[in-house]
Amino acid sequence: MRFSYLLIAAFVFVGSFSSYAQDDLSPERKQAVDSLALEKVRDLSKYISIIGSKETPWSEANRVIDRAEELFMPESEIGVSSLNNPNNINYYAVRTYFERLMRLNYKKVEIEWYNIEYMSDLQRQPDGTYVGVITIFQKFKGYDAEGRLVYQDTTKKDITVFVKRKETQIGGRLIGFWDVLLGDMRVKETSK
Amino acid sequence: MKLSQGNYTKLLAILISVILITGGATSCKSKKKLAREKAAAEYAAKVEQAKKDLTAIINGTTSWTIDQQSDKVNQIKSYNIDDSEVIEMIKKAEAKIALDIAESERLAEEERLKLLEEEKRKKEASKYTEIDKQLKSISTSSTIDAANKKIMLSMDQFASPDVPVLIIISQSGGFNDYDRPTTISKFLHYLKDKQQYKYQVESLKKDKLGKITELELIKK
Repeated sequence: MRFSYLLIAAFVFVGSFSSYAQDDLSPERKQAVDSLALEKVRDLSKYISIIGSKETPWSEANRVIDRAEELFMPESEIGVSSLNNPNNINYYAVRTYFERLMRLNYKKVEIEWYNIEYMSDLQRQPDGTYVGVITIFQKFKGYDAEGRLVYQDTTKKDITVFVKRKETQIGGRLIGFWDVLLGDMRVKETSK
Repeated sequence: MKLSQGNYTKLLAILISVILITGGATSCKSKKKLAREKAAAEYAAKVEQAKKDLTAIINGTTSWTIDQQSDKVNQIKSYNIDDSEVIEMIKKAEAKIALDIAESERLAEEERLKLLEEEKRKKEASKYTEIDKQLKSISTSSTIDAANKKIMLSMDQFASPDVPVLIIISQSGGFNDYDRPTTISKFLHYLKDKQQYKYQVESLKKDKLGKITELELIKK
């Protein structure tokens, strides 16, 4: 009998905690925040393609690296894989990754991201931060001076996304905004 | 008593006169009765029609306009029908017409306010058309150099490269949700990088020199 009471009390506690931890955003606002996080990943996709492109002037590529770096949380890492060494995935600091990308030893580089979608929806954590995982597929193509395709692969990557509501003063007004920051970008699969 | 020939003739004349007078009077009486009956029938028909018309007005099943309904009720009232049911129905019909008038006035006012709001919105939107065009033009530039030139020209309208840009991502209940604030310099380059302008200027602030000191956009 005593055990039953304890069990009921435990259920009530867990139930009340989970309802507290649930979304307190309206579906419309939640959708806007979801879209915002996806948009940041699309921005990263665009930046990676600009940084990787050999047609991008050096100064422009450096400016874009600054912007791209601002998308990430400090100390985040990006995984790099290669079909030449499939069991070895190297993780680099965000800035190092972009600088390596800019200096890749190809005459021409094409990077395209597709199927950008949530693998795990944004979930509210006890500290109010929303955390989710977005999956992307990256198609990489490297060409030599003769315009021949010398390397290509497709990588599936998971990016952790952190969204937190913050406030700032602008022109004497208190502005509430959603700060989206990307975490580690992990390689999940690499194929030709 | 024995009637003489002369007296007999007199008596006959009197008798005929009496018959004629009595007969004439009876005929006059029957004409009046017919007229009364006719008037009663007409009145009954009028009452019946009035009831039908009033029922249609009360139930809202008539296709008459409110003015026509009002005229009809006034016409029925002018008959001075002494029938408690009709009198009650007139009251109900008048109440119904008053309600309909109030409702139609409310709808007209609502429509007027809606039109005013729409006009205001269009005016507000067109106020920023030029700057929206400029921002879009940066995003659709064919080369980096062309985009950079447009950015340089656009920057001239802003008080500094650090002018804050606020981007509304959603609006609900008079409450705005924003993206992380950025600066105009970063935002213009962002448009060049993304090659997309999916925003609309919502508001802007200017200083005394007419330079923009704050730009608020809304995501479309």
